[in-house]
Amino acid sequence: MKKFSKIAASLAFLSVGVSAGALHAQTAEVLHWWTSGSEQAAIGEIRKAFEANGGTWVDTPIAGGGNARAAAVNRMLGGDPAAVFQFSIGQQLRELADQGLLANVGEVATAENWDEKLPPLIVKAAKYDGNYIAAPINIHGENWMFYNTSVLEKSGIEVPKTWDDFIAAAEKLKAAGITPIGLGGQPWQERIMFNSVLLGVAGREFYAELYSTLDDELLKSDTMRKVFETFGALKPFVDEASPGRNWNEATNMVAKGEAAFQFMGDWAKGEIIAGGIEPGTTVGCAFAPAIDTAYIMTVDAFAFSAMDGDEDATPAQTLMAQVMLEPDVQIAFNKKKGSIPARLDVPADSFDVCAQTAINTLQDKKTHLVSTGLFGVPSAVSGAIDDSISNFWNSADMSPEEGQAQFQQAISYAK
Amino acid sequence: MAEPAPDVLQRSDEGKITSKPAKKRWRPQWSAGVALVPAMTITIVCFYGFIIWTFVISLTRSRLLPVYKFTGFDQYVRLFANERWWTAMQNLAIHGFLFIGGCVVFGYLLAILIDRGVKAEGMFRTVFMLPLSMSFIVTGVIWQWVMNPGLGLQEAVRALGWTGFEFNWIVRPDRSIYTLAIAGIWQQVGLCMALFLAGLRNIDPNIWKASRVDGIPVWRVYLHIVTPMLRTVFFTVFILMSAIVMKAFDLVVALTGGGPGFSSDLPARFVVDHILNRQELGLGAAGAFVLLCTVIAVISPYIYYELKKERSGRGH
Repeated sequence: MKKFSKIAASLAFLSVGVSAGALHAQTAEVLHWWTSGSEQAAIGEIRKAFEANGGTWVDTPIAGGGNARAAAVNRMLGGDPAAVFQFSIGQQLRELADQGLLANVGEVATAENWDEKLPPLIVKAAKYDGNYIAAPINIHGENWMFYNTSVLEKSGIEVPKTWDDFIAAAEKLKAAGITPIGLGGQPWQERIMFNSVLLGVAGREFYAELYSTLDDELLKSDTMRKVFETFGALKPFVDEASPGRNWNEATNMVAKGEAAFQFMGDWAKGEIIAGGIEPGTTVGCAFAPAIDTAYIMTVDAFAFSAMDGDEDATPAQTLMAQVMLEPDVQIAFNKKKGSIPARLDVPADSFDVCAQTAINTLQDKKTHLVSTGLFGVPSAVSGAIDDSISNFWNSADMSPEEGQAQFQQAISYAK
Repeated sequence: MAEPAPDVLQRSDEGKITSKPAKKRWRPQWSAGVALVPAMTITIVCFYGFIIWTFVISLTRSRLLPVYKFTGFDQYVRLFANERWWTAMQNLAIHGFLFIGGCVVFGYLLAILIDRGVKAEGMFRTVFMLPLSMSFIVTGVIWQWVMNPGLGLQEAVRALGWTGFEFNWIVRPDRSIYTLAIAGIWQQVGLCMALFLAGLRNIDPNIWKASRVDGIPVWRVYLHIVTPMLRTVFFTVFILMSAIVMKAFDLVVALTGGGPGFSSDLPARFVVDHILNRQELGLGAAGAFVLLCTVIAVISPYIYYELKKERSGRGH
């Protein structure tokens, strides 16, 4: 009897051990900063798919991108990395790969043919040494212009196609007592507007060349001066309380008709939907005025830690990478996130009007542009860019020439 | 004059006892030493060790991770070429002067008012102390609302009919740094008041009686007699408030976010921003080290002067 119970106990013990082992093989801790309602719903779609494929998801949400990135790096350095972690693609991620801290998911990428399905600029940014070190899961656009349709109709204004048209329209709106631009006066929001002006005035080729080379000639060129002149001309069109305002408050101003336009990424759609408005109706979306069509892409991505110092992805990491880019998951996830699929071969018809425009635009590869960081601009430089743009925007008496000179200097010091 | 007596007495007591209990006396010292080991270790490692480490890092080209490739004083050259850094340092001077000055002046005045025997003293004391129970983050958010021109005080006064009223410092690059001092003083003035009040209550009542007999006006008693007597309290307040100024980070983050532009930035925020958000570990470390040197250069003469005065004062 005693013997039997001993065997039974050890058997039970063994089976627990085995199942724990099997569990471990498909268990992945996911560290991310998606804590708001719509973001959680979006990442919930990935979780659902991962679990449906036999994975076990350990959720580690950390509020705030900066905090989450710092936590991911600290845990890696401390020897207890999260298997999958959200990170921005760019210089920083490369530095982690340099130190051998990342696992590569090249196997899935080859099997699923990511090279063909993702936009080439993003493929380039997500690779290190020819291997994928991150899975880009969506595309947000940064050069959107949201506008209140009824406000424009009342003032008899067409959606402007050039910046000259825009300034004329803004003057009309201001005279009518409406704030022309709803702006959240925080450096990153000012940069988004600046980049829209840069793209609109100087064109997509100039934009791409400027941020990929940071060349002094371009920074000092007349084209750049024209960009600063146009950007500076927008200063009178924001309301007094703009500095420090959050982006979603500015979006609400447009939704309520207090402001006419907002230059913001397409995540603003989430706020518009939360206000009970279908994007493309009361609040319309268009690309910011520009001389040629382009889409400034920024991506959300997940990277994979080298577990136990092994740079080959574990089965759980492989499964995660595969699930994240499955067409069905891409559709479900991106609808909730307000972005568009990272894969350009996913059917567009179930998305809202704005997203459909974006997906269709991106079929033409000439329109592809990426935000500053994805060009491989180090965060030190993009920080310096933010500082100088924000300083120019907030100094009422700074001339476009001074702004341009300051911009060029800030970049050359930070390089 | 009467104080030395117990000391002498003790010594003569001990003098009678022979060498045997002297060993006993050794023990408590030894155990006190052991008890101090953790604190000492923490101080040496976390304070001095990390100061040295920060300095070493500031000599490297580290960005996201510490890398020990030394580049001399390159990071300092970059730091001193950075306009934002100088704005931050200038702001630290302005903010430090206004904040410490404001806390001392207003704290002292409030303490005097309460000391003069206001009705409902307990209530006023509580009211002045209450902001202290809030964190700088909460303080920052509250004042951000109050000073927001489209939402707070300016809008409220205009709604009452005074349409020309302007209070938009928080959105003006040339004024935003003053809003920090306003919010900071509001929060800390209660603490200063409490310290001054404690000092005032310790003043010998006979001094007041004597001054009344001599017919000295009250304000002169405060200015020429009481204030010099409270020198140590002023010193304490100054040191406490200086520490708050130097580490001021959360207030500026919550109140202005360093904006508009970087017009209200402070060095602590500059350092944290560059280390955590911009992956400029080397530059941030250089900033931190320069900040430390500045603080030492500004504060230590005063501390030295005060302590020396105190010591020589005791000696008399």
